[in-house]
Amino acid sequence: MIKSFSSRRVTPVILATALGLAAVGCGGNSSSGGDGNSFEFWSFSGINQKAAVEKYEAANPDITVKLTEVGTTQETAQALTTALAGGKVPDLVLIQGDDLPRFVEQPQNFHDLREFGADERKDDYLDWVINQSVARDGSIIGIPTDVGGMAVAYRTDLFAEAGLPTDRDEVGALWPTWEDFIEVGRQYTDATGNAFIDNAPTSVFYQAVNQVSQKYHDADGELIHDTNQEVRDAFDLALDAIAADISAGQASFTEGWSAGMQQGAYAVVAAPSWMLNSIRSNAPDTEGNWDVATIPGGAGNWGGSYLAIPAKAANPEAAWAYISEMQSPQGQLEHFLDSGALPTTPEVYDDEDLTASTDPFFSDAPIGTIYTDSLLGLEPFLIGPDSATIGNEFLNALTAVEQGGADPDEAWDTALANIRTAIGQ
Amino acid sequence: MRTRTLPGPRPSAPPTAPKGAAAGADGPGPVRHRLAERIAPYSYIAPFFLLFAVFGLFPLLFTFYIALFDWNPIGDRTFIGFDNFTRLWDDGRFWNATRNTLSIWFLSTVPQLLAALLLAHLLNHVRLRFAGFFRMTMLVPYITSVAATTIVFAQMFDRDYGLLNWLLGLVGVGPINFLQSTGASHVMIATMVAWRWFGYTTLLYLASLQAIPRETYEAAAVDGAGGLKQFWHITIPSLRPIIIFTVVTSTIGGLQIFTEPLLAGRATPLTCGPTRECQTLTLFLYEQGFGGYEFGYAAAIGVALFAMIVVIALINYLLSTRIRSER
Repeated sequence: MIKSFSSRRVTPVILATALGLAAVGCGGNSSSGGDGNSFEFWSFSGINQKAAVEKYEAANPDITVKLTEVGTTQETAQALTTALAGGKVPDLVLIQGDDLPRFVEQPQNFHDLREFGADERKDDYLDWVINQSVARDGSIIGIPTDVGGMAVAYRTDLFAEAGLPTDRDEVGALWPTWEDFIEVGRQYTDATGNAFIDNAPTSVFYQAVNQVSQKYHDADGELIHDTNQEVRDAFDLALDAIAADISAGQASFTEGWSAGMQQGAYAVVAAPSWMLNSIRSNAPDTEGNWDVATIPGGAGNWGGSYLAIPAKAANPEAAWAYISEMQSPQGQLEHFLDSGALPTTPEVYDDEDLTASTDPFFSDAPIGTIYTDSLLGLEPFLIGPDSATIGNEFLNALTAVEQGGADPDEAWDTALANIRTAIGQ
Repeated sequence: MRTRTLPGPRPSAPPTAPKGAAAGADGPGPVRHRLAERIAPYSYIAPFFLLFAVFGLFPLLFTFYIALFDWNPIGDRTFIGFDNFTRLWDDGRFWNATRNTLSIWFLSTVPQLLAALLLAHLLNHVRLRFAGFFRMTMLVPYITSVAATTIVFAQMFDRDYGLLNWLLGLVGVGPINFLQSTGASHVMIATMVAWRWFGYTTLLYLASLQAIPRETYEAAAVDGAGGLKQFWHITIPSLRPIIIFTVVTSTIGGLQIFTEPLLAGRATPLTCGPTRECQTLTLFLYEQGFGGYEFGYAAAIGVALFAMIVVIALINYLLSTRIRSER
């Protein structure tokens, strides 16, 4: 019995333990294998990506899509970063426009989609949209799936109570500029005692700052966020809206924001096209009480996403087949009719299905034309790797004024100082 | 496989004694046997140390290494020496996070330990029906998912629709915007942390209280010591080792609070409030690493946090040895 504890036996035990650990350590690197009939797809939660995937699987019965809804757009980008650094990557991944520049800066992590013939399809898409996914070396990293487009969603019932017009054309005519918009808000709040907008940083600043000719970078990619008068104007507009006391101070996508939307605590939400889905799912009981009007200040774009294929993907061809079918002009049109995500392919903007498309949740508003009109004639601005960080610091400085009582006169300087620290310049 | 060397009922003789005795007649040879016996214990503890080396030591050392680089996780890595650390020293956000961490730690630990001590004393003395049930209930917050606890608490603390502000409104106070004020947000996070650990700490105290012989209290009562005197002169001194243990563990845990601030501020998850009202050090680390993709800078924050924990652990050690020697 004691023999069993001889050193000869002990050594294998230690070795086995060590090998076991080594095996655990290697587990992360094994890939799912490139069988070509299935691929892994990482997407955001809350955009009902499942519907599109099921549609694709129904049309291609031999293909299996392993869909993972990772989380918010930011969480998905974080997960992708970790995956790219760690080696185990999905075959197809959805990247939000704000997160895209950081990945475009490192194109070696992705398949150049020109390998699959993306350069021949490039002209299908709005040039300023697809150009954001073209890297310095000319490789195309991602195919755009949708763009934001901009509009304002408002509650017709609450507008009627406040004595404001409810017809979408009349409402749009109330606010050709943001100053007019704030004035309408003042009238509404005076009449009802309730807040007009959900929050000023998102519904005013984030909209106005996306209607500029240059945003945080000039045409050469140099940072101009601190000197650009257009950015400063958008920032001051938000401060004016806060001073006018027309905001509910509910930060977008929080519990309080959802609850306020359900209870009619505010009457207006700035609504890029993807926001319509969010309103629909957050406040289902308000169906028919909403309508959509044009946004003050004219054309603009907020948001939009891209599909990319990581360089180490096991099934790049299967992933490209998905992109190729679902992101063709026809595929995007069908997706718009199903979900309301705005196509990036201008040739379908005149399509009768799109122009005739209305949404019963939003009082049969012709959402197809409202949003595409906001995109045509848009002057694209450059988006850089620090754009998301800069925008976030501006937003935080405004939120601190709106909710925390920070001094509005110091907000701009605070934001600039925080940006300097954040981007290390 | 059963031999005298296997762990089991503790031998009555001191552990050093049986070695020679075991090397008696029935082994293949005294020398070889002694070697096996010497190696065997190491193989028993080896799994822990191997796991520690892979999941503890290696990441720790690798973090020190990364901290010397400008390290983009999906791009270039440039050696920059100690630049990350000088930048950290000048970074107001780092000191803000340090202040927040210490404040939240203090607010969550001190009231929690005091309350746990009191409750354990009560649970030990007062004759309760269903005492077992109440003791087990204390563990429920501890086994509940942190994320679930945080989300429920965050709703209770909400400015417009929260239960707490509704109650405050009944007595004419508020509403308090918990996420927009440094002090209030710290109280909010500290409440969540204390809620989770309170029951666990109470049970630890209760367990050691039950190890104190009842005769000690009876003798004190005979000598005329009242409840307070008994608590002060018997309970506290007997609990000293476990109190030190809970202070050390809650300090180390308190410096690493992460989930609560991340999930409490859904609008600004990476900063916990628009002006970093309740951003802790670990959340600042996460913001830099995964929000800004600056792994080198994030690693430097990790190293600084490590250094702080080492210093606090040392202070704890010195204090506790002093207390022990005073006993």
